[in-house]
Amino acid sequence: MTQEAGVIPEKVEREVPGNRLGAMLGRLMPADRGRRKLVWLGVGLAAVVFFATLPLYYDVANGQLGIFFFTVFTYGIVAQGWNLVAGYTGQISLGQNAFFGLGAFTTALLWFWDITHTGYWFDPVLMILSAIAPAILAILVGLPLLSRLRGDYFAFGTLGTGMIISVIFLNGGKITGGSEGKLLIKVMPEGVVFNLRSHYYVSLMLAILATLVVYFMTSSRVGLALKAIREDEISAASHGINVLKYKIFSFAVAAALAGLAGSVYCYYLLHPMPMNVFAMSWLFLPILMTVLGGTGTIVGPWVGALVVYFIAWYGDKYFPGWHPVILGVIIILVMLFMPAGLAGIGENVTQLWKRGSRAP
Amino acid sequence: MTSLLQVVINGILLGSMYGIAAAGLSLIFGTMRIIFLAQGTVIVFFAFVVYWLFVKANIDPYLCLLIVVPFAFLVGLGLFYALFMRAAALEDKNVSLLIAVGLMYLIENAILKVWSASPRGLDISYSSAVISGWGLRIPWLRVALFGLALVSGLVVYLFLQKTRLGMAVRAAAEDMEATTLQGINSGWVCAVSFAVGIGLAGVAGVGMATVYSFDYQFGFTFALKALIALSLGGIGNVFGALAGGLILGVIENLTAYYLSISWIEAVSYGVFILVLIFLPQGLFGKRGVVKKA
Repeated sequence: MTQEAGVIPEKVEREVPGNRLGAMLGRLMPADRGRRKLVWLGVGLAAVVFFATLPLYYDVANGQLGIFFFTVFTYGIVAQGWNLVAGYTGQISLGQNAFFGLGAFTTALLWFWDITHTGYWFDPVLMILSAIAPAILAILVGLPLLSRLRGDYFAFGTLGTGMIISVIFLNGGKITGGSEGKLLIKVMPEGVVFNLRSHYYVSLMLAILATLVVYFMTSSRVGLALKAIREDEISAASHGINVLKYKIFSFAVAAALAGLAGSVYCYYLLHPMPMNVFAMSWLFLPILMTVLGGTGTIVGPWVGALVVYFIAWYGDKYFPGWHPVILGVIIILVMLFMPAGLAGIGENVTQLWKRGSRAP
Repeated sequence: MTSLLQVVINGILLGSMYGIAAAGLSLIFGTMRIIFLAQGTVIVFFAFVVYWLFVKANIDPYLCLLIVVPFAFLVGLGLFYALFMRAAALEDKNVSLLIAVGLMYLIENAILKVWSASPRGLDISYSSAVISGWGLRIPWLRVALFGLALVSGLVVYLFLQKTRLGMAVRAAAEDMEATTLQGINSGWVCAVSFAVGIGLAGVAGVGMATVYSFDYQFGFTFALKALIALSLGGIGNVFGALAGGLILGVIENLTAYYLSISWIEAVSYGVFILVLIFLPQGLFGKRGVVKKA
């Protein structure tokens, strides 16, 4: 990246804190790349096994952890999508809430007006369509925005788009239920009982899917192209990368993931209101999660989602009303003292190993 | 015809609020290259301060300017040195953007806790005074608001053009690196422009307290409006930002008049996106000076 005006030159270099912890963790991690990958694979598998078997010895349908993890997964899917765009492609999208809401409303509308004639519970047809609709929107919006705008301007373009979409749904009148959300879904499929256990499993599966999609996208040639764009767009373009194509691709995938999360959340709400599904929290919380966990890493959004929602959940319980204040303080502290996020500590580990793990 | 004129005048007068806020954003963006997304929430905070001064101490809102603006200036200096000094020096502008988001969250919810969620408005003795003539009715408070915007714009303009510090701020906005090499303390320049930006937020807070009914959530929407005004007027131009605010006010009032109030947001964001795509230097910005972000 080129140096910009506004950068105060002598202060650019900056110690990344957390080195001591990094040094300690560093001794636990194997040095060569293949084995480190195996360790991460093990950690991932352990997490998947833990979450998949949790319902066997814990009542997720009625216990608090069920709804807790369901929400964490839903936010985490959106966060993982944002991570793909911001962390790997370097474009800050501020329109994720629009994609989330569009996904939720695609499911709700198709279901309510029974357009596809597939009335299953967690209907795969609806869910796929709810992923496709935001992706199409992302492509339509992305073509003019991404071809002409960069950096801040792209962020504000997506913000504006998100606002327009949510206003359209707010004013949708009879079709969308309007601001009061009159779209009550009463047509439950026959024989289906509302059970959070199914929500838990579906959101877990989608969370795994989202992680795998982002992992395989970023570890393939596509990911290489995305990272090249993040580091230096002009250089990437001059090496024959179709910058616009890859940017739109990652933007659309992120939108599809947000739409999927919205679709699942719609099956939980059963009563989607534009106020709820287009709420700013679906934009800011995933961003906070990704940033706190570590942008541009696969585990980052998940670590962040757990930590942030943990704070929100227990903060709401013990300091009602104050938890957004606490979250605000935490965002500021994290950005001030460890801008690379919690996974930045892990990054230090890697770097320390490369340097022969000498203490700082 | 008269009613159309009335709508346009109302738009201009109310839009001057956006103008003040956008001028503040423009100053902060000029030197630090960050969009201070918490600007609207800070304005709401100062509006609540004015509300308090009015209700508890019975101080006239316009007299409050003497208290609120210096206070806002100090708050700006404090915020800069506590939060933004190190982040502003980083190349990654997302850090500052996210600090601003965190600050917004913090202030918004602190306001909610301290002053509760109910919307407030000042009931000043002269709040119903109206100028009328030629079939038009213009409330005095809105005219005062417009005057406030013009005067604060002029003060900032004179500061930028006539003082040495203002010259340093302008130089820093052109090229921070070269400015630093000339021996200008870039940290202090950033601090001053940030503080002046927050001072303008104080002025806007007084304006908001007198004209609007406001609550804790108003800030974010307002920051976005200021952003639209800024993009309309072109970044790095105080009077451009003011004019952008006026134009946005007119657009909003015309939308409310011809369509309906609920479409205001959609239309103003639509204009915003079109401007971003087709006129990124704004209506009053110089062509070819927009730095690639």
